[in-house]
Amino acid sequence: MKLNFKVLAIALAAGTLLSACSEPPEVAAYAAKRPDVAPYMGADNGFMTKGWKPGDQASWTEAINKRNQGQSEYSRAK
Amino acid sequence: MARMKFICDTERCIECNGCVTACKNDNEVPWGITRRRVVTVNDGIVGKEKSISVACMHCSDAPCMAVCPVDCFYRTDEGVVLHDKDICIGCGYCSFACPFGAPQFLSKGAFGVRSKMDKCTFCSGGPEANGSVAEFEKYGRNRLAEGKLPLCAEMCSTKALIGGDGDVISSIYAKRVSVREANGRYPSNDIFGWSTAYGPAGSPAPAPTPAAKIPGAKS
Repeated sequence: MKLNFKVLAIALAAGTLLSACSEPPEVAAYAAKRPDVAPYMGADNGFMTKGWKPGDQASWTEAINKRNQGQSEYSRAK
Repeated sequence: MARMKFICDTERCIECNGCVTACKNDNEVPWGITRRRVVTVNDGIVGKEKSISVACMHCSDAPCMAVCPVDCFYRTDEGVVLHDKDICIGCGYCSFACPFGAPQFLSKGAFGVRSKMDKCTFCSGGPEANGSVAEFEKYGRNRLAEGKLPLCAEMCSTKALIGGDGDVISSIYAKRVSVREANGRYPSNDIFGWSTAYGPAGSPAPAPTPAAKIPGAKS
């Protein structure tokens, strides 16, 4: 009986120690690319500009191009 | 679809570093990383000193994308080259590949440990939800989704740095060059970095490298 306890203790100790030698599975899916949301869908914050409709790509493009012309003095001076 | 590009007009840049400051402040870029910087060449030589504001050029055939071993880069429909910091392993290959020194890393702690890569996002964030706190903390502002353009370009006092749809900003620059010509001045109309990032004028987009020519690539 005493021998059985000794064997059991050794088995438990060996099991505990050897468990550190195991390796968790490394799955590539953890680092998978995520789809990005297009900017014309708008941002969920309070800094949105007015004059275009979130989700409408054409209105966003038009608003951006209009804003782009703000970088040209020749357009602004007209 | 708009194809977002930057142009820096070296005839106008006065090396004020306003673009650098605006970028750092608006995106809360950490100490040690400068997404945009102003480079001056021929310092002190009258008539030849030129300053250029440099950041990620969002190349058409981006070398950073080509060398990334974990494929963390992606290009949006607007032509903006972005990356996913959750995939980046901070190896630094992209910084060696980039001809503009755009990818940067925080280097702190023991053994020169590098952080995840950080670079200009054309103020369009990352893969997190547009305008979310998570996106801001990792990549900075997403001004494109707010209907705005990158702050560095929009606040440039001399409008040396212009950013936005490639066709629109090219027309703005072309107008300047024609006015300079009409005024009897004909400085170089080459735009810094343009041919390096997008190819020579009139050249077609480069064809992707066939998988058979890439060692170890899956065909």
